[in-house]
Amino acid sequence: MEEQEILTTLKILIIGESGVGKSSLLLRFTDDTFDPEQAATIGVDFKVKTLTVDGNRTKLAIWDTAGQERFRTLTPSYYRGAQGVILVYDVSSKQSFNKLDAWLNELETFSTKQDMVKMLVGNKIDRSNHEVSKEEGLKFARKHHMLFIEASAKTNDGVQCAFEELVEKIIQTPGLWETSGKTIRPGQGGADVSQGQSCYCVI
Amino acid sequence: MATSHRNRDKMSTNSRDSMISVEDEADVFEITDFTTASDWERFIARLEEILHEWKLVNHKPHPPAMKDQYSTGSWAEKSEEVIFADFRFTFTYMYLKTGEETNSEVGKQDRKGEDEDVDEDHRTPTVFLDLMNFDNDFPSRTHFLCRWYGLQEFLTLTPVSEKQCIDSESRAKLLLSSASIALGNSACGIPLFVQLQSRWRKLFTGTSLVNGGATVEFEMSHLKRLPSQFCHLAGLLDVFKSKLGCTYISMPPVSVSVRFTYILADWIHGSWPQIPPDFSSSFCDGEVGYGEIDFLPFGACLDPINELHLSCTWPCLSEDMIVENSLYSDLDPLQAPLWSVRLQMTDNPQCLLGDFLNDFLKLSERQESTEEVLKKVMPEADADRDKQNPEISHVLQRLTEPVPALSSVPSLGNVVSSASAKITFRPEDAPIPDELLGKILIYLFPDAKTPNAVHEGKVNSSAKPSSDPAQSASATDSGSETKAPAEHVSDIAAELNKKLKSSPTDSLTHKLSLALCHVNHQFGGLLAVAHLWQEFILEMRFRWENKILLCGIEKGAPNLGSCIVHQKLQMLNCCIECKIKRESSGFGYGPDSLNAHNTPSDALLESTSASSTQNSLHKVGSIASSSGDDEDDEFFECEDDENENPNEEQATAQKISVEAQENARVKKASKSSAEDEVLSTKSDVSQYQDSQTHRPEGRMVSMKNYFLLCTGEQLYIPITQEPSPMTEDMLEEHAEVLAKLGTTAEGSQIRARMQSACLVSDMESFKAANPGCILEDFVRWYSPRDYIVVGENGEDVPMDEVEARSKVEDPDMKEGDNVETESGERVKMTKALQGRLSQRMQIPGNMWVEAWQSARAVPARRQKRLFDDTREAEKVLHYLSSMRPAEVVLHLMPNIVHAAVSKVAGEAAAALVPNARSMLDQLVSRAATLTRSFPLDRNKYREMLRLLELAETISARTTSLRSKFTSNHLASPAQEGKEEEIEGFVTSLLTQGEVSVRGGACGPAGAVIHKMFIAAQRSNNMIMDDEESSDFLDSLYKKPLSRHGSDRRTSSSSNNSGTGSTGTRKNSDLSVPSPTQEVRSSASCADFPPASVREYILRAMVPRPAPYSKVLPQRMYCMLTDGDNRLAGAFTSDSTFQ
Ligand SMILES: Nc1nc2c(ncn2[C@@H]2O[C@H](COP(=O)(O)OP(=O)(O)OP(=O)(O)O)[C@@H](O)[C@H]2O)c(=O)[nH]1
Ligand SMILES: [Mg+2]
Repeated sequence: MEEQEILTTLKILIIGESGVGKSSLLLRFTDDTFDPEQAATIGVDFKVKTLTVDGNRTKLAIWDTAGQERFRTLTPSYYRGAQGVILVYDVSSKQSFNKLDAWLNELETFSTKQDMVKMLVGNKIDRSNHEVSKEEGLKFARKHHMLFIEASAKTNDGVQCAFEELVEKIIQTPGLWETSGKTIRPGQGGADVSQGQSCYCVI
Repeated sequence: MATSHRNRDKMSTNSRDSMISVEDEADVFEITDFTTASDWERFIARLEEILHEWKLVNHKPHPPAMKDQYSTGSWAEKSEEVIFADFRFTFTYMYLKTGEETNSEVGKQDRKGEDEDVDEDHRTPTVFLDLMNFDNDFPSRTHFLCRWYGLQEFLTLTPVSEKQCIDSESRAKLLLSSASIALGNSACGIPLFVQLQSRWRKLFTGTSLVNGGATVEFEMSHLKRLPSQFCHLAGLLDVFKSKLGCTYISMPPVSVSVRFTYILADWIHGSWPQIPPDFSSSFCDGEVGYGEIDFLPFGACLDPINELHLSCTWPCLSEDMIVENSLYSDLDPLQAPLWSVRLQMTDNPQCLLGDFLNDFLKLSERQESTEEVLKKVMPEADADRDKQNPEISHVLQRLTEPVPALSSVPSLGNVVSSASAKITFRPEDAPIPDELLGKILIYLFPDAKTPNAVHEGKVNSSAKPSSDPAQSASATDSGSETKAPAEHVSDIAAELNKKLKSSPTDSLTHKLSLALCHVNHQFGGLLAVAHLWQEFILEMRFRWENKILLCGIEKGAPNLGSCIVHQKLQMLNCCIECKIKRESSGFGYGPDSLNAHNTPSDALLESTSASSTQNSLHKVGSIASSSGDDEDDEFFECEDDENENPNEEQATAQKISVEAQENARVKKASKSSAEDEVLSTKSDVSQYQDSQTHRPEGRMVSMKNYFLLCTGEQLYIPITQEPSPMTEDMLEEHAEVLAKLGTTAEGSQIRARMQSACLVSDMESFKAANPGCILEDFVRWYSPRDYIVVGENGEDVPMDEVEARSKVEDPDMKEGDNVETESGERVKMTKALQGRLSQRMQIPGNMWVEAWQSARAVPARRQKRLFDDTREAEKVLHYLSSMRPAEVVLHLMPNIVHAAVSKVAGEAAAALVPNARSMLDQLVSRAATLTRSFPLDRNKYREMLRLLELAETISARTTSLRSKFTSNHLASPAQEGKEEEIEGFVTSLLTQGEVSVRGGACGPAGAVIHKMFIAAQRSNNMIMDDEESSDFLDSLYKKPLSRHGSDRRTSSSSNNSGTGSTGTRKNSDLSVPSPTQEVRSSASCADFPPASVREYILRAMVPRPAPYSKVLPQRMYCMLTDGDNRLAGAFTSDSTFQ
């Protein structure tokens, strides 16, 4: 197999309340393992993985942030330049779901890319005591123009899919990951704007 | 296999066919050597191949184009390169996109069905329809071949290289006949043209093999001078008829379409009003104020509208109906049924804003450093420094001298001399004259002026009357119809603030950018920019050293949405603020002056004085250090809240000894409360051992209903250190370092440790505030989800869930509610006591446990500072001073673009530019992308400035055109009520290429245009009236109208005036132009100049070549202008009945 050239490097962000399983989702995605002994993240953590979506090989630089209130003055600095964000809640915790609005607010304030792709992930569906239904998650995602999936880092449900979907969407968003060379033409003032060849000029 | 076989078959047929045709054409055969036959065959085969590719084989006839579709519809083009021997050609297919083509498959099938009904051969070929189509006679913008022949599709063969051209007739014939073989083989009836001679001559010869046995020959002649007998319709009709060669039969009348174009180049009443801006006033006139440096020039120096072209058209007349010969003409422009107008814009109207900004951007190409630039004017800078030329002493000092020092105002005068190295110029060498530099600095730093001025400055910067386009626009246009544009302007202003990565418009950064732009323009470019930049940096250092906050820079951590220079200034401000806090408590002004043995009473005194000046702050910096010989020993100092906290009234001085490692620190006076003594010894003693003995310190507020698990004491939230502010480049660096650690578990560990400073600091503060606490207590405050309690049904629930639930269950109870039942508290406490740390917190050796163990009980105020303001300030100052002027310019460009777009928005609104909104929206979104993209790209900014200049030009055009059409001299009572139409006409002239004049000469716009021409004619012919010039137009009409009062048009218009009051009637009578010969003859020159361009289209249905041939369309287009005359004929002949 020949090494395919990397199309682009994307910055992905994982945010959400503490303990919802952000680091676990990332570990599942990058190393395909689940570590119940995953320590609470301090500040931000970072992982890299290459992913091929629709034949495009992309390098993902994934920044895992700490969900703890106290770190929140620090972590938003890392939102800069992210093309995609995974917003995680815990389906067995209504509380973590209720905080989503605040997270989106924070994202709005600190992200630099206006059209960044957002994905909502309801984690821990392997658990029995669901407090947030799939419908609620869907509704929230629809309201905020997000992708949505339910997943479990423990049983590896939907994890791969979530990342792939997100990357695909980013790749499909023009101008998000490549500098667009669009030219504009303000107004149509005057005939001299048009090119000579197809334009008849009386004199 | 089958297909390739068939192809070969086809090829051989082709060549056979070709051979035959060549043999038929004797003259071609003459010059064709058989050695080149293969070249030629290949050429034909290639053409056929392309025709197949483009699906032009067995081409179906199209319906004729609809009215004006040639100019309004969209044209498409396909092209391929083909080779004939060593000649390379571009083979192009140009065609009008018709609706059918874009239809889906379904549409095509429908058409197929139709086609079967109508017999293919009996449908009129497209070429014939096109030649005789009267609906698209003088299209305003289209390909010249389309204009000359009226074709909706055609093929061209043009030499690729400009140098090679077909200059012999035989070559042309060879090429054309070869191409027609290909067309014939493909049954393609599309006209094909071959370009002859030099490209600029646009000379073509062409042919079309029409299905059903006819050939159209397209001929053209291009002459510098036309013999005078042909220079009118009569002569051209003769040419046409003789070309048809059928003088012996009675010919049907030729139908004629004519268009004359008149050029208006002298705008007598609407000459360009632009007055070049007077830059000097903003600097020289001291009393006007300093708000004017942010004035941006705007407008065009030359009239952006060069000429108006009026085209008068007579569509499809019979040759019998009009006469134009050398003696007489029926073609009076005022009688023409159709009038249309187009504008000829000025190529480079020298836009002020564009030039102003481009000059500034040009500096970004310079390589010199600031020092190198300044060295030229102060060769011995170092030597001079000691002398401190008093002449050039600091402007700020002089300005502040007469002002008595006020506590609220930083008195720069007192300290300015101690500021490090001011630039010293010999007065005559200073790029920016001293006084002006002073004014600019005052503009940048209004707080440095007199207290009065400070006040004004604030008012100025907040209200910003001159720089805010929204306000200026709304101020200038008070009319209700201008309200909408003004709203747009404020929308745009808001959008700019939101979307651009620049800086707020009233910020220091913004002002600095504009000031640099101005000194560049006014005081000699690079040198002046370097000078002002240097002064700016010195002021920055001065302010840092003297703890004077930067005005016009919002407080708080750097806003990552602003440009980097602005972030750096925000950072500097953070440092200054931090320094002020740090030093304001009076503990000292640096590590050296620290008193390590402060008595408690001293400390108390200091903290009281601090709190009196800095009320409402939780944290007030003061510095405390044991030795002070090491920068690392600076501590973050927070004011203890004991004096403010009403919960703690127990404050008596008492020294408590602390552990050995803390013994050097300043001990804060404190008093033990009775409860503090009661330390219950609950669980794991070893965990809180180290913290159980000290006095509580650095408490911020108590956490309601939370009690320490071991001691049962109230749990206090500690005062903590704020995380360090960071600019985006620091952040990037930081992120890079973190990312470099890799993705291994060890990497993660190190990363966590690197970022744990804040966590450890918080733990230390927590320990200091809560003697006897354990990790569980900390986690309950810091990460409640990691403290697991037993839920109602016996399951494990994170603590925050329990709380959230209890809140939901008990809606009356709000956060901070004072009334909480005793039992509630107790339940919570019991629950907490039964709880445990989450699994992940219990992992042995995890970072949290590790950090907890290493954390000592130290209040934030005595911890090592997380934010080293001195270091960060120096870094900022270094960053700024190491910038080359070119970098300064580039880094400030976002602010310039911001100011420019908002200037354009204001001006475009004031000028009522049509479609201003969409133009501005594009500018804004373009600017947003540009200012956010990194690295900064000079060329992209240049492109942006070009767009801004275009917008400026458009705005200037609007102003110019409107003033031309609404000039007082042209206004007349008949125009009353027609303003709207004139306005609409102006708008469409600006937005469309060619605009038809409703009502021709008699419409309101037509009348104005007529008057413009008259005025220009009179001025060109030096006709001066005795009367006031403004009256001359009236006088022009007085005479004829008094004679011809019953003119049809006049009477109808007076009827329209309704009431019939004599005054109105008279006025309207006078003003309506009466397009009669008499009117014009009354003046001593014609109303219009001779037509600059005269175009004729002659058409007839005539049998050719023989009288018994089919009746076929014939057409000739003629264009006569000065020195460039063209006849383009399309003559059809029957190839069956010859
Ligand atoms: N049952 C179950 N438990 C999970 C799942 N994902 C994570 N967990 C557990 O949830 C706890 C928190 O997981 P983390 O991945 O550390 O959570 P986090 O979002 O990274 O938390 P912070 O780093 O504090 O923001 C851990 O004990 C995990 O074992 C899951 O899919 N199912
Ligand atoms: Mg984590």
